[in-house]
Amino acid sequence: MTKIIDLKIKEKIYKNKKLQISILNNFNLEVNAGEKIAIVGESGVGKSSLLNIIGLLDRDYNGEYTLFDSRANSLHTSELAQWRNQKIGFVLQESALINSLTIEDNIKLPLLYADSGKKEFKLEDFENVINAIDIESILKKKPLECSGGEKARAVFARGIIMKPQIILADEPTASLDVENRERIVNLLFKMNKEFNTTIITVTHDLEMANRYDRVIHLERRK
Amino acid sequence: MKIFKFIISKIFLRKAILGIGMILLLCMANYITFTATRSILSTFQGYRETEYINQEGVYTANLDPNSHIDMGVISENGTQAVYDYLNNNFNYAFYTDGFIVSVPNSYDMKISLGYMNEQYYRLNEFELSQGTDLDFDYQLDGEIPVLIGKGLSKTYPVGSTIKIDEFVLGRPVTLKVQGILKQNTYHSNYYALNSKTYYNFSILIPVNEAFINNANMDLKLNGLMDIITLNTTKEEVTDLSKVIKDNMGLKFNFFSQQENYDYFNEYYLHSLKIIAITTFILFIVITCLSIWNALVSVRLMLKDFTINLLVGLSYSKLRKIFYIYFGILSFINLTVIFIITAFNRYGCWLRKDATFATYGLFGLIGMDWLSLLVVVLSDIIIGMVIVENMLRKIKKVPISLRVLQ
Amino acid sequence: MKKSLFRISDVLELCTAYMFCFFLNLLFNYVKIMDLDSYILKAFLKNFTDYQEIIVLIFTVVVIVFHYQMLHRKKTEIFCKMLVGDTIFNITIRYALNCLMILIFVCLLSTLANVYLKFNLISNFYLTFIFIIYILISAREVRKYENF
Repeated sequence: MTKIIDLKIKEKIYKNKKLQISILNNFNLEVNAGEKIAIVGESGVGKSSLLNIIGLLDRDYNGEYTLFDSRANSLHTSELAQWRNQKIGFVLQESALINSLTIEDNIKLPLLYADSGKKEFKLEDFENVINAIDIESILKKKPLECSGGEKARAVFARGIIMKPQIILADEPTASLDVENRERIVNLLFKMNKEFNTTIITVTHDLEMANRYDRVIHLERRK
Repeated sequence: MKIFKFIISKIFLRKAILGIGMILLLCMANYITFTATRSILSTFQGYRETEYINQEGVYTANLDPNSHIDMGVISENGTQAVYDYLNNNFNYAFYTDGFIVSVPNSYDMKISLGYMNEQYYRLNEFELSQGTDLDFDYQLDGEIPVLIGKGLSKTYPVGSTIKIDEFVLGRPVTLKVQGILKQNTYHSNYYALNSKTYYNFSILIPVNEAFINNANMDLKLNGLMDIITLNTTKEEVTDLSKVIKDNMGLKFNFFSQQENYDYFNEYYLHSLKIIAITTFILFIVITCLSIWNALVSVRLMLKDFTINLLVGLSYSKLRKIFYIYFGILSFINLTVIFIITAFNRYGCWLRKDATFATYGLFGLIGMDWLSLLVVVLSDIIIGMVIVENMLRKIKKVPISLRVLQ
Repeated sequence: MKKSLFRISDVLELCTAYMFCFFLNLLFNYVKIMDLDSYILKAFLKNFTDYQEIIVLIFTVVVIVFHYQMLHRKKTEIFCKMLVGDTIFNITIRYALNCLMILIFVCLLSTLANVYLKFNLISNFYLTFIFIIYILISAREVRKYENF
């Protein structure tokens, strides 16, 4: 098993003029390639913050992070961007769509930042992803014209379009019906099986969490 | 009030740039409206004041713009000959001002002297706050009865005397205060009706034939420029024009009532129309910009409004809040306009500018208040247009969709 | 265009805002050299021409409002682009360059009009300088939207 994530956080501090909050104290995480991990815990405990750190969106914390054998803190911002484009797929809440673009343009957005050779390859895959998630009918619609479930599926499609090595999902099925939830989860697991994609999901759904290889419970410091 | 405070502090003030933008745009709209209204009011005020020259048989002198004044050619005798001709053949109104003297007063203002004959005095019907009408039958070597402005009334009450070195007579004279002019009495410039001289720090000296005969060339020449002949015919003023040309080498035009009307229609009315149209266009442009600004605000604050609407805020309450908000913005702007105007008016007092110093709250006079009233009306119009547009925009998007946004 | 934060409507909006300010400035320059024989008009216009710089500066608030609302509206877009492989530096540079290109286009039009009418170009460049400052300030604000 190849270790792709080695994260050691001493603490992550959020502060403003009035108060200071410290989370993820002495938190360590090692993840092997192809692992399926569910992160659970009460609200405000730092689940989304952890995803941001793993996804290289946040480097403002006290600790060390090694991703694909590279120290995250030593990476240049352009390298980070390239990794977010090629190696990490984000599946966040439905609101993370650009309202002025169509669903199709939103899904194809990562292709815009990929190098040309890869872009051709991904365009071929586009159809497969669309069919698998069943969102062909909404491709020409704008996000505001879609339902919450449709938008959640569009966000998911955008997250997997580049076939990333890691998928970071923040409650990806929260606004979906049972049928679509199953479809998304199956697709995630299929990617995990076929491409050895690592899946890290934040969820409140313990039943769902139990289907993952490992469940990490985050707790507030007493 | 609680809701209003909450919406203002938690929604509007969080995006203060939009509020500041609205204040600046409204400020421009107010400034333009205020300036235009004051120009129009001042011109009409001037026109009303000079209505007496728009009468049958009245002719107003104007130096021909192509005529060149060569002081070397104009002689004392020639000028006197013109006045002799005027005295023998015409009933005329004489007025000139702008002669500055130092007269001790509590405001340390330089005092402007105005000279007028009886006909001019009767035509103008000066209103007095104290004292009696001027007497034009006086002896030059005795006390000369005068009218003074309100600014001098404390130092020189009715009955008191003022000793000055009379420039036009070239000797010291004693002036006796006969009456005090009502505050802010003014005189409009015939050639620019919106431009005024205020008499608050002036002394109006009555002049009779003897006075003119003994006065220097400055008074005679300046007085001649604005001379008004009464009960005259075209032929008579043509002859007078010829006498002036022969004796002084100056070409004078005399304008009749009809010519004055035509002039007003062509010149003043045209200018006023341009001012009104320009102001209207600018007002519309600024209103459009303000609407754009307001709609941008709605776009950015839609979520906040929606959440408040979801939890019980009604559209009618929201409308009321918007109106109060714009009322506050308008009030801020009105205060700014008031301060600018007061600064200008009161500045005349600070600069010791006697001809423009006016009485009133911070020097603001009637037309300033009227213009401010017009500004209030224009603000109400803009406010209504903006608030209704904002509400229309908010109502246009269903709450359900806004929640999703 | 897709990498840019600007859509056609945004370009038109900013273009209009710039044009309005430059046109206003041009109008002032024109009024100043107009040979008016009406004292009333002259006196009325003097109330504005005397304060040309201040009045034009006040009206540039429309450009400030544009920048402000543009970035506010685009915060999701900025975040989404970050997620899929863009960098905040590139987004900022692209935004500033787009604004500058629009400004240069409008400024050139205005300069041509000023040259054609033989007006002094100082106020034109002064206005351009102010807009460049606005662009730089607003470009600095882009990074505020790095995190959703």
